[in-house]
Amino acid sequence: MLSRIAESMFWIGRYVERAEDTARLLQTHLKMLIEDTTGAEVDACRNLLALMSVDHVKDPTPTDLLRVLGYDPSEPTSIYSSYAAARDNARRAREVIPLDLWECVNTTWHQLPTAPFGTTGAHVFLNWVRERSAMFGGISRGTMVRDDGWEFMSMGRSLEQVDMTSRLVASASLTHGSRQWPAVLRGCGGHDAFLRTYRGLYTDREVAEFLIVDARFPRSIMHGLIAASDSLQKVAQNNMLTASHAQTAIRSLGQLRARLEYADLEDLLANLDREMSAVQDVAAQVTITVATSYFAAADPTAWITEGTR
Amino acid sequence: MADVLSNYRTGEAFDEMMDAEGSVRPSYKAVASALSRSTSDGLRVIAESLANNYTQAGVTFDVGGVERPFPLDLVPRVIASPEWEIIEAGVAQRVRALEAFLADIYADARVISDGVIPSQLVTSSTHFLRAVWGVKPANGVRIHVAGVDLIRNPAGDVRVLEDNVRVPSGVSYVMTNRNAMITAMPEAFAKQRIRPVAGYPTRLFAALRKAAPPGVDDPTVVVLTPGVYNSAYFEHTLLARTMGVELVEGRDLECRRGKVFMRTTAGLQRVDVIYRRIEDDFLDPVHFRSDSMLGVPGLVNAVRTGGVALANAIGNGVADDKLIYTYVPDLIKYYLREDPIIANVDTWRLEEDEAREEVLDRLEELVVKPVDGSGGKGIVIGPRATKAELDALRLQVTDDPRGWIAQPVVQLSTVPTLIEDCLQPRHVDLRPFAVNNGEGVWVLPGGLTRVALPEGELVVNSSQGGGSKDTWVLSPPPHRSSSGRNSTEHRDEGVDHEQSPTAVPLTVAKIPVGVMPKFAETHRQQQDQQQQGRRRGWRC
Repeated sequence: MLSRIAESMFWIGRYVERAEDTARLLQTHLKMLIEDTTGAEVDACRNLLALMSVDHVKDPTPTDLLRVLGYDPSEPTSIYSSYAAARDNARRAREVIPLDLWECVNTTWHQLPTAPFGTTGAHVFLNWVRERSAMFGGISRGTMVRDDGWEFMSMGRSLEQVDMTSRLVASASLTHGSRQWPAVLRGCGGHDAFLRTYRGLYTDREVAEFLIVDARFPRSIMHGLIAASDSLQKVAQNNMLTASHAQTAIRSLGQLRARLEYADLEDLLANLDREMSAVQDVAAQVTITVATSYFAAADPTAWITEGTR
Repeated sequence: MADVLSNYRTGEAFDEMMDAEGSVRPSYKAVASALSRSTSDGLRVIAESLANNYTQAGVTFDVGGVERPFPLDLVPRVIASPEWEIIEAGVAQRVRALEAFLADIYADARVISDGVIPSQLVTSSTHFLRAVWGVKPANGVRIHVAGVDLIRNPAGDVRVLEDNVRVPSGVSYVMTNRNAMITAMPEAFAKQRIRPVAGYPTRLFAALRKAAPPGVDDPTVVVLTPGVYNSAYFEHTLLARTMGVELVEGRDLECRRGKVFMRTTAGLQRVDVIYRRIEDDFLDPVHFRSDSMLGVPGLVNAVRTGGVALANAIGNGVADDKLIYTYVPDLIKYYLREDPIIANVDTWRLEEDEAREEVLDRLEELVVKPVDGSGGKGIVIGPRATKAELDALRLQVTDDPRGWIAQPVVQLSTVPTLIEDCLQPRHVDLRPFAVNNGEGVWVLPGGLTRVALPEGELVVNSSQGGGSKDTWVLSPPPHRSSSGRNSTEHRDEGVDHEQSPTAVPLTVAKIPVGVMPKFAETHRQQQDQQQQGRRRGWRC
């Protein structure tokens, strides 16, 4: 597979997943803001933006949240930007992705709203984003050949999911108290699954266990880490020549898995914010390793003009 | 009664659907009857669905950096079978002659020593590239793909307007137009047999594989695109996708020791055949434009040493120069010893003194074109130019007579086209595509019919905001098809799907389709009673 195409596939996976997760995150927070009676609206909004690494908005309101994370094409973290980037990459990889999948991404991009909307319209929009992403997932699972392209896309998707779940988990730690857990679980689409598995006891310990280390839940951090390592392994097997490059990435994922799996849950909970930052660090680091080993572009050509030597 | 055709009036040009008396030509019977049954609202719905379809599928053409859906008109252009046979033979003949011309001109140039064309004609052409002099392609083919632009004059004769043997584009729209039309107007298809166009990628792929350097059994073919911002990027992706090959950009390729490699996740992989969609100038910064970011340094050397095959070959531009065009009938006689099947449009060569004087006198009634322009750029249409434009043109022509040709204003034929709410005649041309695999020239039955949407406009080019139409070549009547349609068409085994094999009735499968077992009937009845019992309970 062409390196350039592999890179596009990786980022299609990441951006579509990011759009979906951002939509969930936003939806959860909009609901929390309404239920929140303490009146610290600005703080809650600032915290959410901080989670998404946005720090340039002063005294944010829910409208700012919707703009920065939702529809503003000039904000790099917005759902709009994510889908625009996914579409741009899909266009570059147009000949390797199935027609249905391309049409799904392209249609989504065409229908993206750029005009401001209020909180009422927000839920319609966010539901739509989640539906489109679900459609993307379904079409890709149903039509794509399991070749390197698929593995790179899954890898991107898994890493993004790890990153976003860790942010979502960290968001609960901000407000303290188990009061927030139901909303966080809903934000991951794991509320019912959690109730069925743990019989409705919202203790910090159990929710954290479910979201961080329960590999059976497809949005848990552990599930994402395992999926990303699997994809890396397959890519390494298919490309023996460059297989040694993948080892560094596989190792850092494995170390993180071991750390989360065998750590004392109480310790994790006590330092939830720091632990989740570490997860995001690993995701970023693996992305860099994968990029340098598989997506490496040409060395820039240097021309020596006559007379300079 | 809102008959959309009742107000259709043809102009002085030849109309493809109506003859001068206003009756429908035989080839258009089915289309006209489908149209006459529809209302203008119905047509608008179809037109909108065609446009939406294209936007969603990303069938777009970049005009000045903006991605636009390629406008597709819903009235097809229909070509009857006998006429198509002439076009097919004529196009193939031109390609064969130009192929022979290129082989000659990049070797001994006998055509010059035999006095058929003057030597300065070739040496003064900017597209005559000395870097590839003496290079012989492995299977002798330089024009793997050609697009020959045809028009029909008011007398009803088909003429050649220009040849494109460098990187002719537009074939993807032939395929997407057909797909869109089948969904939008299925009833018009049902009435007649229209020859399919979907076989093009297979033919092209086969021809590209045959072009591979000697000794390569299973060649790796790639399509080389300038990138996503190129106006024809959609076409490049479609061709790569339908041929199942990689679409590469210049930066994905690397030349090493006369061979070309692409950068993959598994390291460098050898490339044998490149179907390039980049102009010569940008292909190799070592030999041509050194500021090109799109090309691959060292590519020309790889071609010269036979390490890679390029389709179409470098330096083909010398054959589709508009001045060479005027000599093509002579070239056909010289190389093939045949008479041209399709004639040229009358053309004045402005470097000849007499012709130039005559043209400069009549500038306001002629069309003047730059010889190496493409995409309708630089064309001056005399009757519509201002005095200042004509004066400027006169100066340019006197300065550089080699750079210009002149032609009479030809009223291109018209086809009904949906403009707002009604059908109006609009001028069209036709670009059939030919693929040369070294053993024969195959012409795609169909082609890109481009239509100029403004009223009276004669320049039909996609980069000038033109639209397109689906082109239907009707199948010959069944009793003729078995005897072979045309001598110029070669048949690859397993490529031609036009003749469906005799259908064998399917035997009914022995194992029935699995279904989920039903609840036992008694169980269901019990549930039912339970419910009834409960309901009764509530009532009490």
